[in-house]
Amino acid sequence: MATIRRGDGGLALPWARLSRAAATRRQKAFLLVLPAVALLLLFFILPYLYLLYISVMTQSHNAKYITRFTLANYAQTIGDLFIWRVIFHTLRLGVITTVIALVLSYPLAYHLARASSVMKGLLMMLVLTPLLVGVVIRTYSWMILLSDTGLINSLLTSWGVQPAHLMYNDTGVTIGLVHIYIPFMVLSLAGPLQGIDPDIERAARSLGAGAWQAFWRVTWPLSLPGVVSGSVLVFVLAISSYVIPSLLGGFTVITVPLLAIRTITELFNWPLGSALTIVFFALTVVIVWLFLRLMSRAMKGAA
Amino acid sequence: MHRSIGSRVGRVAYGTLIVLLYAFLLLPIAIVVIASFNSGNYLRFPPQGFSLRWFRHFGETASFTRSFFFSLRLAAVVTVIATGIGTAAALYVTRTAKRYREFLRVLMIAPLPVPAIITGVALLIFFYAIHVGTHGAFGLVVGHTLICLPYVFLIVSTVLANFDRTLEEAARNLGAGPWTTFRRVTLPIIKGGVISGAVFAFITSYDEFSISLLLGGVGTTPLPIQLFDYLRFSFDPTAAVAGVISIVMAMLAVLVTERLVGLESLYYGRRS
Repeated sequence: MATIRRGDGGLALPWARLSRAAATRRQKAFLLVLPAVALLLLFFILPYLYLLYISVMTQSHNAKYITRFTLANYAQTIGDLFIWRVIFHTLRLGVITTVIALVLSYPLAYHLARASSVMKGLLMMLVLTPLLVGVVIRTYSWMILLSDTGLINSLLTSWGVQPAHLMYNDTGVTIGLVHIYIPFMVLSLAGPLQGIDPDIERAARSLGAGAWQAFWRVTWPLSLPGVVSGSVLVFVLAISSYVIPSLLGGFTVITVPLLAIRTITELFNWPLGSALTIVFFALTVVIVWLFLRLMSRAMKGAA
Repeated sequence: MHRSIGSRVGRVAYGTLIVLLYAFLLLPIAIVVIASFNSGNYLRFPPQGFSLRWFRHFGETASFTRSFFFSLRLAAVVTVIATGIGTAAALYVTRTAKRYREFLRVLMIAPLPVPAIITGVALLIFFYAIHVGTHGAFGLVVGHTLICLPYVFLIVSTVLANFDRTLEEAARNLGAGPWTTFRRVTLPIIKGGVISGAVFAFITSYDEFSISLLLGGVGTTPLPIQLFDYLRFSFDPTAAVAGVISIVMAMLAVLVTERLVGLESLYYGRRS
């Protein structure tokens, strides 16, 4: 009975047999999603619940934790100005990276979507190749370029320009993050842009719209799904990056992942590290949810 | 007249912008290649001269070659699993699911908004709690699959969202069964999405750092971790050699994809 009600979506239908058949079909189709659901419940939800559990356990010096309920870890996290500074620093890096990546990726994706078939293959290869080279290697390459005695500074010095601090600060981390996540943004944008019929833009132009107006009123709204998915992807990847802040930021840039790992694996403070993780997780979910909510309303308004 | 000059200037500016953006995108790749063939310990301007000593050093270092082949095998296994269950899940969620659609969608992409490094910590603690620990590659396969699944799911879902379902209805009306319809109509149209999802999954796994950092064990160290550890102690261009290998592999992957499906279909299966 319960399954039928679930299949019906709670609606009382007069054609009981028809709805039962539909319910059976949907139940069978559920097998499609079952492996993924099982994997996520067992090895994603459950470990996080365990993390949640540890976050309300009491800290201890000589054990991982003591099995006694407490909210002290959360009080400590929320009450700590240093932790809040790290959280805002991380989120700010994420937003800046996303905006810069979007601005730089849009022309690339547009150009790619409008290129001839032969060119497209070549350009696609150019966009994909950096993506296929490991993040550690690309970060290493930026270290060669950005360090105080690196390529860029040795060039600047040879031109008589004052060398600049490009590494072990936010600048280096932002450059690294933007560079690493541009291909993700381009790929997200290229699909929707490719889907826009060039004739629609031409029609707008022939009806008297300028190039800018045609872009702003036609192309941009139609590409919004790509903008949204690309932005969410890049933001989330940027704030969770570990390699780039640790190698290009040195010890001067501390992000939440670095702090949480340090708390858990170096200070062996599992309860506090778990609480920090969960606070940051909740903040991220709220931000992404608000963004998606806002964008879906904007897209409905545009349609 | 006025407008044509303006548009010509605009076109040149646009072209220049595109070239500069590609230069930015590819600069680190070029640097890696130059550094790997440079004879000096550090890359300076101008380069010190051609040498293959770093390649020899990479090939002679067992820890590098072992990690390299381990990473390849791991990525292959993870790609097969993630593409299979991710595509199936996308089919169900975008088409059949009703009441739980939003919940399932959120569940499928849930590993994405969570810092992978934190998922790694949660898994590490969990695996120790259930006495699996970091022995063997089980933890790595599970962790990598979690991270790759959302990409496959998102890409295939996007293709399915743009999918014209009247094509399937037509096939059904013409007497094709559900499986035939899927194989002959649905699959060819979403094939680009599935393959691009698989390519993403492979890249993500081969490139994955955070999960590997925490779940890699003795004898199961993926290449990125090996390189990271190496770079902390020595800054010589042996790491660049791994980069060159990656670049060659990347080009092979791209070429194979091009031969199989055409790169255009990487834009979510659209092929005009």
